[in-house]
Amino acid sequence: MLQVDSVRFAYARDAVLDDVSFAVQRGTIVGVLGPNGSGKTTLLRLLAGIITPSSGRVTLDEVAVAAFGRRELARRIAVVPQETYATFDFTVLEIVLMGRYPHLGPFELEGASDLAIARDALAATGTVALADRLFSTLSGGEKQRVVIAAALAQSSDVLLLDEPTASLDVGYQLEIASVLGRLNRDRGTTMVVSSHDLNFAASICKELVLIRRGRVIARGPTADVLTREHVRALYDVDADIAFNARAGHVTVIPVAHAG
Amino acid sequence: MPGDIRGRMTVTLGGFGALLLAVMLVAPLAGTARISLARAFDRSQPFADNVDAQIFFIARLPRVVGAALVGGSLAAAGVVFQALLRNPLAAPETLGVSIGASVGAVLAITLLPDVAIGGISAVPLASFAGSLGALAVVYALATARSRGMSSTVLLLGGVVLTSFLGAMITLIQYLADFSQTFRTVRWLMGSLDVGSYSAIGAALVPLAIAAIGYATLPRALDLLSLGPEAAAARGVDVARAERVALVSASLSTGAAVSLSGPIGFVGIVVPHLVRLIVGAEHRLVLPASALFGAAFLIACDLVARTAFAPLELPVGIVTAMIGGPFFLWLLLRRPR
Amino acid sequence: MIISGPSTRRAFIAAIVLGCTVSAAAPPRRIVSLIPAVTEMIFAMGEGGRVVGVSNYDRYPPAVESIPRVGGLLDPNVERVLSLKPDLVIVYNTQQELKERLGRASIPYYSYQHRGLPDITATIRAVGRQLGASDAANRLAEQMERDLDAVRRAVAGRPRPRTLLVFGRDPGSLRNIDASGGYGFLHDMLEVAGGDDVFADVKKESVQVTTEMVLARRPDVIIELHYGDAARAADFQKQLSVWDALPAVPAVRNHRVHALVGDEFVVPGPRVVDATRRLARTLHPEAGR
Repeated sequence: MLQVDSVRFAYARDAVLDDVSFAVQRGTIVGVLGPNGSGKTTLLRLLAGIITPSSGRVTLDEVAVAAFGRRELARRIAVVPQETYATFDFTVLEIVLMGRYPHLGPFELEGASDLAIARDALAATGTVALADRLFSTLSGGEKQRVVIAAALAQSSDVLLLDEPTASLDVGYQLEIASVLGRLNRDRGTTMVVSSHDLNFAASICKELVLIRRGRVIARGPTADVLTREHVRALYDVDADIAFNARAGHVTVIPVAHAG
Repeated sequence: MPGDIRGRMTVTLGGFGALLLAVMLVAPLAGTARISLARAFDRSQPFADNVDAQIFFIARLPRVVGAALVGGSLAAAGVVFQALLRNPLAAPETLGVSIGASVGAVLAITLLPDVAIGGISAVPLASFAGSLGALAVVYALATARSRGMSSTVLLLGGVVLTSFLGAMITLIQYLADFSQTFRTVRWLMGSLDVGSYSAIGAALVPLAIAAIGYATLPRALDLLSLGPEAAAARGVDVARAERVALVSASLSTGAAVSLSGPIGFVGIVVPHLVRLIVGAEHRLVLPASALFGAAFLIACDLVARTAFAPLELPVGIVTAMIGGPFFLWLLLRRPR
Repeated sequence: MIISGPSTRRAFIAAIVLGCTVSAAAPPRRIVSLIPAVTEMIFAMGEGGRVVGVSNYDRYPPAVESIPRVGGLLDPNVERVLSLKPDLVIVYNTQQELKERLGRASIPYYSYQHRGLPDITATIRAVGRQLGASDAANRLAEQMERDLDAVRRAVAGRPRPRTLLVFGRDPGSLRNIDASGGYGFLHDMLEVAGGDDVFADVKKESVQVTTEMVLARRPDVIIELHYGDAARAADFQKQLSVWDALPAVPAVRNHRVHALVGDEFVVPGPRVVDATRRLARTLHPEAGR
């Protein structure tokens, strides 16, 4: 569905991403893993059409992302950024309703169906009780769930999430993982999740793309890709990889530096 | 009710509109001279002899209309600048458009004291030209980067413009003769004694253009206030929205300052007051602020011209005395 | 309102009223005057030859064109003043810094304060004493007082029109009108010339007036004062049409809106007599003189 072909992105002469290729099948959750500065965020921005590649293509259903109209693209792809800061005191419901923007005409007001979709999105992320709260007063985990709800309200086929658990503690991480997993199962939403948290990625992603210094060093099904060698190549860390029956997925336990 | 945007818009705009109407009806009745409404509208007496009518129509009504336009424009511009810069402390004065208008006026007072074009003194025309000049500089700064406007660049540009142009004003005042300097000081205090309808009419042109821009902005401003990339990801044409916002808010600030001189606090206090009442959505905040800003300035002008009769306070003092403490209260009550 | 009595008493009162002076031993021969009114007084006494420095704003008599300039009220150029080696400097009462510096340089100064019409003749006498030209000064002062009395007599008994005396407004409009209040030499001149100041109750030298106030106070006569030369008089006359926006004002209805142009209206010196006469002629054209 989403295809990245030999994409290169550079600001000046230094390439942030070079020769990156992979495919995202409809209905899967793909994880993009790598250390800070590896180019993950840039890759997500390329997938969202916010920036264009210096060379190579990003396509959605075989059509270049750059060729889509702004609103049309927003109806197909929604982005959950790493952090959202609300300058003004919007309520949760107001923030989620903003997700309906690409579906409305320039002077069209939200109607009953838009409201229903918004409430639906709140329900899917367990945030119905927060609907009238001010966004700025929420906890980190609550905020992330609301932002996911806002992205859901866009009714898009694809969800891109940039480090969704980066600033959250363990409890919230599990919460978000559970929400995303459920969404994927119930709605079949295709997702691309960037993270530097290996366990989180392992818990929800069917496939992984490992990026180091702007280049793909491995890609494929999670269990195949998440190996000791790959972890060392990515993070200079020696780790134990084990399948955890209770968690239901592969886990990574860092043991020592392997510079 | 939450979520029913149509209903909320009707109630909000209806309520603020009614407030403005009430204020506009009452304000021309009050003033230092006591007049009778009946006499003012008495058609049997020729206008040329009717003092009450002349006070009402020539002295007071243009003032009320002028106050409404200036108050509404500054408040609307404040809302838009706060969203554009993602900063609730932004004001129409922040980017330097207001001081550009002041430089134009000070130059005209000093160099072209007796010039009038089409019945309008050169001063408001030069003032508006000055605001356009400042806008051009800000616009060039803002669009120099191909990747959208950086609010940091805009804010820094505003600081530089304000200090540079402020120094220019001081220099011009220093070189001018005494009476010219005196007149510039007077102008810089701001005054709603607009006098005639021709200056108001001239100001309506840029205000109408700004209003057209404003009409397209509210939803985009909501999304922009969460960040330009977040807005782009939701389908907002960020570059276009930012440019329309910058130009509309600058045109409305320039028109207002050319008409009345700089009047502070309206552009920063009114949006906050309105948000306390109606919430954060710009489809409510923008029009409501324009309406409330108009009513607010008419009321302040009423106080300014009656509190110490027969002397009149510059209206900027009244807005500052109300706005300052209110602002302090706002800052202290915010939990974060 | 003119102080009457022997000249010594007047001089004594003048010395107290107008602030102290640092007196010179012998009559000063090199005088720097920062005040145009006092410069005119000195020339009118016949002692213009002793003036070696004048302010940037001096324009009368024509002889001042060739005298070096030393600044004005807000920006006196101390270096320039000192370089002229004066033995008397006429300063404004408020120019504290300048006075201090002159004191340190042991240069005597006369401290001038600007007030009402009677203070003009009092100043003439006081300055005359400073210069050792009391006879000329007294003659000048007495002539002025006689002339002003004559104006008073000429308009006595005539109805006194309510007058709005305007000394500034925005060109081409009725915004920011500055008018005379019930205090100061222009107000006093108006009273002598047979007019009642429409803002006499506001005890300030100048009042900022709005169109509403003009309509409410209903002046019978409006007089705009402009400085500058007679060449511009025609322009100022044309501009008076802005007042037509207020036809309910008696002055406008009865076509009694005038523009008077001349420096004598801004300089409280010997020419106030001319100014007062012109005001009287405008207010009471039938009175002849």
